[in-house]
Amino acid sequence: MSKDSQMRAAINQKLIEMGERERLKELLRAKLVECGWKDQLKAHCKDVIKEKGLEHVTVEDLVTDVTPKGRALVPDSVKKELLQRIRAFLAQHATL
Amino acid sequence: IPDALTTTMSPAGCPHVNSFKVDNWKQNLRVIYQCFVWSGSAETRKRKAKSCICHMCGAHLNRLHSCLYCVFFACFAKKHIHEHAKSKRHNLAIDLLYGGIYCFMCQDYIYDKDMEQIAKEEQRKAWKLQGTTALPTCSRTTRCGIGEKYSTWEPTKRELELLRHNPKRRRITSNCTIGLRGLINLGNTCFMNCIVQALTHTPLLRDFFLSDRHKCEMQSNSCLVCEMSQLFQEFYSGHRSPHIPFRLLHLVWTHARHLAGYEQQDAHEFLIAALDVLHRHCKDDNGKKANNPNHCNCIIDQIFTGGLQSDVTCQVCHGVSTTIDPFWDISLDLPGSSTPFWPLSPGGDGSALNGESHTTGATTLTDCLRRFTRPEHLGSSAKIKCSGCHSYQESTKQLTMKKLPIVACFHLKRFEHSAKLRRKITTYVSFPLELDMTPFMASSKESRMNGQYQQTVDPFNNDNKYSLFAVVNHQGTLESGHYTTFIRQHKDQWFKCDDAIITKASIKDVLDSEGYLLFYHKQFLEYE
Repeated sequence: MSKDSQMRAAINQKLIEMGERERLKELLRAKLVECGWKDQLKAHCKDVIKEKGLEHVTVEDLVTDVTPKGRALVPDSVKKELLQRIRAFLAQHATL
Repeated sequence: IPDALTTTMSPAGCPHVNSFKVDNWKQNLRVIYQCFVWSGSAETRKRKAKSCICHMCGAHLNRLHSCLYCVFFACFAKKHIHEHAKSKRHNLAIDLLYGGIYCFMCQDYIYDKDMEQIAKEEQRKAWKLQGTTALPTCSRTTRCGIGEKYSTWEPTKRELELLRHNPKRRRITSNCTIGLRGLINLGNTCFMNCIVQALTHTPLLRDFFLSDRHKCEMQSNSCLVCEMSQLFQEFYSGHRSPHIPFRLLHLVWTHARHLAGYEQQDAHEFLIAALDVLHRHCKDDNGKKANNPNHCNCIIDQIFTGGLQSDVTCQVCHGVSTTIDPFWDISLDLPGSSTPFWPLSPGGDGSALNGESHTTGATTLTDCLRRFTRPEHLGSSAKIKCSGCHSYQESTKQLTMKKLPIVACFHLKRFEHSAKLRRKITTYVSFPLELDMTPFMASSKESRMNGQYQQTVDPFNNDNKYSLFAVVNHQGTLESGHYTTFIRQHKDQWFKCDDAIITKASIKDVLDSEGYLLFYHKQFLEYE
């Protein structure tokens, strides 16, 4: 594993241990609902389901189709805020 | 394999879970949820942090799954878990991020009712734990909770039954008039009807009652909140015939004796009495009886209560004595009444903000508010004991808004009941559709006093912006008159409610009307 992914894993571990990951997840969820991202993607999912047919569509179909769009549609302000939160958390628990 | 692909998803999940549902499977599944999906305690979180990595490539991302048959974590995105499933014939895995169960035979996530139930319970448990766990780095226990998790509504068996037996559905379109209903006049009861129309069209109040948030604790049948709830049901039932509010009238007579009788009463008095009884009969959010007016959290207080700041400044030592009192409405004096309406310089703060002009010479709502919040010199006959000077001194008093309510009700004092005369002041007061209360806030006054005479209006501060949504009007004289209400539906559709008769109205009709009670709603609602 590269140094980068080692660092990532360590940060992830710390976030989980301190319960911060759950808090960040909830914050992110609330922000994504507020800015309409959830509704946008929900509409997109409906399109995929219509296209593939309700009887045959799988979760995998949706994940493959929706993931790139979902990633692209996250507003910069949300990314910024989450990054700030993570930085602040890391600064507080600087033993990493 | 073709069999698996054509399996239609049913609420009972898939047939392949049956081999898993043996022995102590429920407890085993719970343990997996508690330890690796929704880790509530510090201990389980530590374990999750350490052990949840792919056994094949060490990654912690890539949609990690856990095998349900053995202790094996592997990523989904790189198909490592698929390899395990194939080689060991372990057909079920659980997504460690969201708790979904994947069946390799069906090649999709499955929704088994029993397993879903367990998942829901474990998630709720973990949530509760998160709310009270002490942070190891803090010296004291802090609430690091996220609050009650939002879960989407799912009907109970009983509700499903009701929905099936009552198949009629109503579609709310942008021009649908649901919520509009006339009220029969039971003998000079228009003073009550006009207020009911305003209240049933207060969005937050409507939402509270239509989502059944009132849990009644009163033993008798005389709970006014329950009656309000009934009233909302009647208004949103879709019935077009006018409603006969005899039960409401009876309850009002019971709880507000001063309003009983068949004479015409004052609509403003009724509004205050109704809010008071509703507030008394409500339980606040934490289940405590709402008996302390300063600490109540009932729906009435949440919507209607604001804080009025009164500053008394000693003219000698300039010491300020401040008190804050709760209010449900603001009563404004009008020009033409026996209390002098100080002439105000045209322009200045306030009028430009609310898009009014003084060219017509008409008094505006903002003029009345400016008068209301002006510093008033309390004459030599009304000296106040100053705690700074330790003696009675002349002082000035000023009222400003400390905390704005979500719904602001302005009462134009048109009925004069002085010792000499009883009359109605019919001076036209123009009021706006959108109102900015910033100039009348205590904080604005403070910045003025600090030398910032030029009020820089912050276009991004939306806290103090209001929209008109109901206007109660009085036609006639003090002796015999009639109340009607204009109410607003959707964004810009107005209707006139005249007892049993509802008619479409234009914005011009509303703004040209005399105005007695003006109801404004905050445009933006903030989190607490």
